[in-house]
Amino acid sequence: MSLWRLETFRLFRTHRIWILLAVFASFGALGPLTARFLPEIVDAVGGGVEIAVPPPTPELAMAGYLGNALQIGILAVAFVSAAALAFDAKPEMAVYLRTRASIRQILTPRYVVNMAATVLSFSIGTAIAYVGSTLLIDAPRLGGTITATLLLAVYLVFAVALTGLTASFVRSVPGTALITIAVLIVIGIIGLIPHVDPWLPSNLVGSFDALISGGEFDYWRSLVVTIVLSLGCVLASVGLMGRREA
Amino acid sequence: MTDDVVEARGITKRYGNTLALDAVDLSVHRGSVYGLVGPNGAGKTTLLGVLAGIRTPSDGVFTVNAKRVAVLPDTPKFDPWMTAREVVELSLNLAMSEGNADTVLDRTGLLDVASRRVGGFSRGMLQRLGLAAAVVGNPDLLLLDEPAAALDPAGRREVLDMVSDLRGDSTIVFSSHILDDVEQVCDAIGILNKGRFVYDGTLEELVRGSSRVPSYRIRVRGSGDRLVEALQLCDWVTDVSGEGDTVIVSAGSTAVIERELVPCLARVDAAVVSIAPVDRSLEDVFLEVTR
Repeated sequence: MSLWRLETFRLFRTHRIWILLAVFASFGALGPLTARFLPEIVDAVGGGVEIAVPPPTPELAMAGYLGNALQIGILAVAFVSAAALAFDAKPEMAVYLRTRASIRQILTPRYVVNMAATVLSFSIGTAIAYVGSTLLIDAPRLGGTITATLLLAVYLVFAVALTGLTASFVRSVPGTALITIAVLIVIGIIGLIPHVDPWLPSNLVGSFDALISGGEFDYWRSLVVTIVLSLGCVLASVGLMGRREA
Repeated sequence: MTDDVVEARGITKRYGNTLALDAVDLSVHRGSVYGLVGPNGAGKTTLLGVLAGIRTPSDGVFTVNAKRVAVLPDTPKFDPWMTAREVVELSLNLAMSEGNADTVLDRTGLLDVASRRVGGFSRGMLQRLGLAAAVVGNPDLLLLDEPAAALDPAGRREVLDMVSDLRGDSTIVFSSHILDDVEQVCDAIGILNKGRFVYDGTLEELVRGSSRVPSYRIRVRGSGDRLVEALQLCDWVTDVSGEGDTVIVSAGSTAVIERELVPCLARVDAAVVSIAPVDRSLEDVFLEVTR
């Protein structure tokens, strides 16, 4: 039994991997379904009131997927990652690990396994949305979908890294997850400032719609900043947790 | 390599305004079993935490001359979805040491439940598992915080036997409230009170050195009241008490009591059944020095 196996077991035996997969996969299926049958749904619940709905398009299907998947998905990612990264939440368990391995040894598999699970779940969700849209409406742009998926994956990796950094200040699992979400919301609010937005991780979220629609999107600055911030969060958490007493 | 596995000088630990450890000096000889005793809040767990490297002292210096240090916290906990065997195998893997998980699980009485998830384990079983995870891979220094606290008498006996078996191979620092356990397995003892060592040395020296008032227990046939009254009149007696057929008498020195007691008993014509010096237990001494 190694620390890598321990983290893999943690994801599967606590069913957290299924939570991540269920969230992204279900919205991946619901996005195209909702877009395709939106006129029928509106007719059924509209009670005779005429409501104009746009015709179903692949862009609408993918946007529907992302809008819901990112909101609930980030919540799931933060809680699942916090459960692994806030390992000082239970001091007796922390003592067991801290007296046997270095913080770097403890955190590396936790970061890698949770980041991989997050990216895999999101990618599966996107693939389901893509296939669903192709079957029900029309195929979204493949190149744009792949690029946008990669950019969103980087954003989700940043969310996991930020969770780790938060865990080095806060010991509780819910506290770590909720503060992480709050920080991501604050970053989004700061992004409302026009000249700041292209530099923020939250800008990557906006790339999804634009790239799938075949438009141009300037993501390079936010991509570089997000990668640098993610690395910074990981390194800072290793340093801070190493200095913290169990 | 020095013969002391642990050398600590002036270890002080503050939590805000609370002084948990106050300039503690400690040396633990290689291969020995060192008992750390003291009342609740004396600083035992904090001192073990400092030696384990999971707490940073506010002041003082210490060295741990051991390649592998294993710690057993007072209430060990593990991920509830792990099996007992996986816990021990993970310890073995992290220790990068040769060993067999099942052998250690067998020694701690957990081999039958090795494949069970630890979420359903009782506190005693977790304590055994914690001990198994600590001793697997033969650590050089073993820090045990109340290792037998949650165990039944048979479990306690097994833990003490295990600690005794490890003597010589590993150096053990063992904190306990159960003075009988400390008395049975420890070569040396440190008594912590309010963050300070009030005693640090061997058990024999502690018990002998603190017996400042030598006492004898006399059993007589019938009531001891008449003997108590007679002894109260003797000027060499510093204290005398009786209950039923037993009388306990104390004097200023052992020489005085040895010289004066028997003639006194002869004068009062006491029907003596037995006379014996009162041995002070570790518990008596502990209560005396931590008072």
